[in-house]
Amino acid sequence: MAGAAVVPHGTNVRAMLERRLIIVTGKGGVGRSAVSAALALRAVHLGKRVLTVAMTDQLGLALHLGRERLEYEAREIRPGLHALAVHRPAALNEYLKVQLGVPKVTRMGPLARAFDALASTAPGIREVVTMGKVLWEVRKGAWDLVIADGPPLGQIGSHLRAPQTVTELVPVGKVREQADWMMDLLADASISGMQLVTLAEELPITETQEALTWLTEHQVISPPEVVANRILPALDATSQQIKEVGPGPAREAALMHKTLHEEQQKWITQLSPDVQLPFLFGLHTPPEVAARLADVWGEE
Amino acid sequence: MTSKVLLVTGGGGVGKTTLSAALAVTAARAGVRTLVVTIDPARRLATALGLKNLGSEPSPHKDEPNLWAAMLDASASWKAIAHRHAPADVADRLVDNPFFEAATQHFPASQSYASAEEMANYVEARAWDLVVVDTPPSAGGIEFFSAPAEMRDLVGGRLLRWLTGGAIPGRRALFTLTARPALRIAGAALGSDLLERVAEFLMDMRSMYDGLARRAVQIEQHFRESRTVVVTTADPAPLREAARFYRDLPEMVPDPDAVVFNRVLPVDWHNPKPPSDGPLVENLARWGAEAHRQTEVRKEFAALWKTEIATVPWRPKTPTTLDDLAALITAAEGLPLERLGVVTQ
Repeated sequence: MAGAAVVPHGTNVRAMLERRLIIVTGKGGVGRSAVSAALALRAVHLGKRVLTVAMTDQLGLALHLGRERLEYEAREIRPGLHALAVHRPAALNEYLKVQLGVPKVTRMGPLARAFDALASTAPGIREVVTMGKVLWEVRKGAWDLVIADGPPLGQIGSHLRAPQTVTELVPVGKVREQADWMMDLLADASISGMQLVTLAEELPITETQEALTWLTEHQVISPPEVVANRILPALDATSQQIKEVGPGPAREAALMHKTLHEEQQKWITQLSPDVQLPFLFGLHTPPEVAARLADVWGEE
Repeated sequence: MTSKVLLVTGGGGVGKTTLSAALAVTAARAGVRTLVVTIDPARRLATALGLKNLGSEPSPHKDEPNLWAAMLDASASWKAIAHRHAPADVADRLVDNPFFEAATQHFPASQSYASAEEMANYVEARAWDLVVVDTPPSAGGIEFFSAPAEMRDLVGGRLLRWLTGGAIPGRRALFTLTARPALRIAGAALGSDLLERVAEFLMDMRSMYDGLARRAVQIEQHFRESRTVVVTTADPAPLREAARFYRDLPEMVPDPDAVVFNRVLPVDWHNPKPPSDGPLVENLARWGAEAHRQTEVRKEFAALWKTEIATVPWRPKTPTTLDDLAALITAAEGLPLERLGVVTQ
């Protein structure tokens, strides 16, 4: 199996993409934008009409889609693939207008600022506006699949739980009614799913385990798939062969590969991920990375 | 004794915490009394540093006489900050308020501010020659330096003014908030009670202003006197963070004293002369391609921002002992250890 690609296993990608919403999250630096973009490309390849949403930081997703930046209005990236970035003031505007039924707002400036002051202070409000935009796109029904490049792992709990937090804070009123349908949509396993991206290293694995425990306790969304990114294939050489090659780069690279692979396997067994994506050697641009990973998703 | 400060910054996942620890161990072994302040270290690294509990209290290392370590907890730091800057009764009310936790977690600046204020406390304690600060991941890079100004602004009433529409009213006026046309809708959506609770909370936060504003100025002075290391890898996201030190440069951000590329592969893996064919050559070819990519990225960065670059080799195993950590710095190339205060003449 010299250099065999590590392909996704254990999960039917096609079935995964049958849902209407996939929220992708992971610790900073594990490649969640790359995975979001790759999933989107794969779904488009299967003939779906897809919207990708950058929830908190848009740059990663934009670059993996080959764009400088994304707008709040959904733009077509290529046939079947659209993208937008949640820009909070605009999301707040839409939330007030569409969801709370604020009629014709003439003085949006002061209201938006006042609401922003509130959202920065009262727990859950800021997150409910961001989640609200994503869930609203799902509810509208214009897309077969919405893929959300979510907040980093550290903030995912406060986002997923935002509708509950708001109902605890605001017992009545329109905000409360909105929170109710959001919770239902998120909890529906046939509609919403989640992917936790990780690396086979100590910190990302530990944080992923913590997140899985949190998700089991809170039951806000169906259990996520765990995606282990940048996984090395086993080196197809015996210790004897490595010894025989003599000192020099070939031996060094072999020993490096072998040790890294063993380390990765040690961490991976603690988590048994649903999907493994390969380490990509020497690739330059984010769109290349997304395209390669999308191909790998297709090799099931 | 005056303390020098070494700030280790950079994007998420670049090995900032490990390098902070490695620099601290190197300094301690060179006879420099060193405190390393970490945030969220991996368990094995925390163990290597002799860290057991979260908290701002530095603990001396049992095997390394010149080494101390502390592991910050932003939530506990903020409680201490409230008690430091607000009158006792207001501080008690603040830390019990559920909004306090939300507000101090919401802003990327608040985690940075908490560690910056702890940094200032350590420096002023004058108990160490060198304080190495591993900056919070949420700050990315340059946000760490603008955090004091940002917090001063927030505590000073920016949000409160947004809520009240300009001037800061007396406490009594808060109960007529929903009379503001702009807030009538928000009041209807959320209930006027919530608006009032938020406004009251923001009034309480304001009582920290004088103390915090004074402290922020002192912290900024410490920043100006600090040494800064920017850590990155050859990956696009951390590279963008590193580039911001040169591109966006707000006034209070010092020029980095070193840019460190971490997880660097040997340059002689590029054009390999294959000893024979077979799987090992195939393996070297793909790693050589990765090494080549890394070199190109480093050259490009150095040329674009006219800076020297230091490199730390990629170690397949995470360092788990003080010796491993020290070895990382020994194997590094181009690190200006003297300028960074890690070794002294």
